[in-house]
Amino acid sequence: MSSVIIIVIIVGILLALGSGLLGLMRGGPEGSEKMFRSLVVRVALSLFLFGILMLSGYMGWIEPNAVIMDATIAK
Amino acid sequence: MNEKEYYIPDGTYWPIIGSIGISILLIGFANQMHGVSWGSSAMVLGFAITVFMLFGWLGQVVNESVNGQYNQQVDRSFRWGMSWFIFSEVMFFAAFFGALFYARMLSVPWLGGADNNIFTPDLWNGFSATWQQVAFTTPGTTLQSGTAISIPTKLVEATGLPALNTILLLLSGVTLTLAHHALRSDKRNQVIGWLVATVALGVAFLGFQVMEYGHAYADGLKLTSGIYGSTFYMLTGFHGFHVTLGVIMLTVILFRVQKGHFSANNHFAFEGVAWYWHFVDVVWLGLFVFVYWV
Repeated sequence: MSSVIIIVIIVGILLALGSGLLGLMRGGPEGSEKMFRSLVVRVALSLFLFGILMLSGYMGWIEPNAVIMDATIAK
Repeated sequence: MNEKEYYIPDGTYWPIIGSIGISILLIGFANQMHGVSWGSSAMVLGFAITVFMLFGWLGQVVNESVNGQYNQQVDRSFRWGMSWFIFSEVMFFAAFFGALFYARMLSVPWLGGADNNIFTPDLWNGFSATWQQVAFTTPGTTLQSGTAISIPTKLVEATGLPALNTILLLLSGVTLTLAHHALRSDKRNQVIGWLVATVALGVAFLGFQVMEYGHAYADGLKLTSGIYGSTFYMLTGFHGFHVTLGVIMLTVILFRVQKGHFSANNHFAFEGVAWYWHFVDVVWLGLFVFVYWV
């Protein structure tokens, strides 16, 4: 569940960043405003993502770097 | 001629100087790799010419902009130029993230015998289909087939230096946004203060990244340590290179703010660099999640 939330937030960050780029390309007072607002959203979502990641790791909902693929190691 | 629609720049010698500089740099690099004696000197010369070109050309553009020589069409062309540059950057990092995904999720499991089982772990002597984000310092165990392999002794940690670096870069995004807000409100001293903080956070990030490389290298993770070592150093290395460039560009913007080059309504250079910094920040978040965590 938390990995779904993480992916959704990452997509949100990319959309906000992309929206900021559209504002940058448009230029003028409107574009400038759009860019600034989008980047504020980008920063807020990023902080939220970091918080979720740390919380998920701390609570054990996700485990960092836990995968070793080769399952055929002899004990 | 309609001066609002067209802009015809004067002839300039900077492009040819740049071409000569970069050519000498690359010829020197290639020869240096082949152990030719003049290779390094040629690299230094080429680099110096390239830096000279950057100062000369960009300085000229800044002067023309400050002197009010640019109309709206030039502003539009700058914005389009920036967006194509960003497009190339997105494609660049997409390729390396794509390589990471392909190796991690598809090719390494296939080599380990996943899906159709055409491949086996005994592909060659000592092969082990692990995702080795780890130190291989302890030789140790054998596969069921009897092949001796080294086993991972330590995972690359996500919660130590990488987490600290993530905090530093996220904070730099906050300070840059505050600088941006101050610029839009015409508060120059605040812009300078927040920009200095952003640059300092960027430099701190780079310092810790060097430290992190030291740890990883000491633990046995190298560019040659299989597919994980390659993708790890390619992604984090190029990201670090982008942070370095971002710090340089933010410093230039800082000096330009001090000189009063920007107004609340007209500050494209600041916007371009700010967006670039946010982009580099997001790339790091992607790295933090997909290289260190998942």
